[in-house]
Amino acid sequence: MSDQQSRLQLSSIPLTDAEVDRRKRIVDLSGEDISRIVTLRNMVAEHTNRYVDAFFRYLDDLGEAPALFGKREVLEEAKRRKREHLAAMTAAQYDRNYVEQRIALALLYSRHGVSTPVFLGAFHHLLRALGNDIVKSVKDPNDAFQRFISLKKVAFFDIGIMTDVLISERERTINLQQDAIRELSTPVLQIREGLLILPIIGMIDSQRAKQLTDGLLRSIRANRARMVVMDITGVAAVDSKVANHLIQTIAAARLMGSTVIVTGLSADVAQALVALGVDLGKISTTGDLQSGLEEAERMLGYRVVRTNETTGPRLSA
Amino acid sequence: MAIPILKQGDVLIASLQAAPTDQDLIQLKDELAERIGHFRSRIVAIDVGALDVMDSFATRTLRSIAHATKLRGANTVIVGIQPDVAFAMVQLGLTLDGIETALDLDEGLALMRTRPDGGASGDR
Repeated sequence: MSDQQSRLQLSSIPLTDAEVDRRKRIVDLSGEDISRIVTLRNMVAEHTNRYVDAFFRYLDDLGEAPALFGKREVLEEAKRRKREHLAAMTAAQYDRNYVEQRIALALLYSRHGVSTPVFLGAFHHLLRALGNDIVKSVKDPNDAFQRFISLKKVAFFDIGIMTDVLISERERTINLQQDAIRELSTPVLQIREGLLILPIIGMIDSQRAKQLTDGLLRSIRANRARMVVMDITGVAAVDSKVANHLIQTIAAARLMGSTVIVTGLSADVAQALVALGVDLGKISTTGDLQSGLEEAERMLGYRVVRTNETTGPRLSA
Repeated sequence: MAIPILKQGDVLIASLQAAPTDQDLIQLKDELAERIGHFRSRIVAIDVGALDVMDSFATRTLRSIAHATKLRGANTVIVGIQPDVAFAMVQLGLTLDGIETALDLDEGLALMRTRPDGGASGDR
């Protein structure tokens, strides 16, 4: 993925200098830290491949991100970006470009199923390897500790970006899925002039209930419906909130001059509604969709007549 | 601004314009009660299609119009309640129970005509 694409995809992190400075301030990254980090440049450059291998071997051993190791070119890209990361980390130029690289890598992880805790575990492993080497190469333990802390500030600067991206990507996926489900849900269909059916399948949450009401009331207006058959055969469970919402929808439909018949209340749903004490007295119900349609047709003055036994059922008004 | 009342045969039609004041509604109630007797009307249709909000006072006034109309020998149908308004009313508990409602004026009049008594019984 090119950096341009990553920029397009990621509006959740504003890529401004102010934002980069804010993030630096959050991890308390000062000029002193940068001068300490620069001293580590040669050590990191020398062992880059070892660190990168350690990082990815650890990821692989965890077995939590198989998608990343499934394709050679994906893994190669991830490794290349990791090497860039280590180089950039010790180059100590933490600017917009650096943040963009972090975002691009996080997007790569996100697309290949590296979750936040897995990433954190592997990244910590990498830091441990770096820390060990720092302790080995620097004589004074206090000095080594200071250098490691400075590096750790950068690491946390990175983690902040990476987790933001991973989380926002996950939210984006969830939103996309919700949109998809929403589009699938609750069509309102006209089956006779003045008669609509509203088959409801699956769980009804408050957002979907709202959408359902909206859709139904608008369709009543658009189709000039006088009867609506609401079929809830496909609804496994109804709580009091949803039941009340359905009752309100039915009352609102009545205000628009339309009568609603509810069909397909399963035994469980019926018992649950009675147990909840929901007042269904004003709602007309029938056992199944067929009898609901027959009732609605009768009330609208339709009569269904079979004209020929042998050619199968044909309907006429 | 007074709400106009039109007479067509044995029907009186009142068309509410956007945001009538409480005073307008009270005046409508009085005038309708008066004119039903005057014109010997059988049906009163009140069109609220232009309203994008219906408060409790308006609902209560419509309800009392319907009841007063009944006592004067005619029947009331409320027509044209908008989808959003309908749902908002229900959420406020203003369900106009026992009062006829219809999608629009055409449907409302057709509904009242199909009743053998011209719509004398309140329930559907």
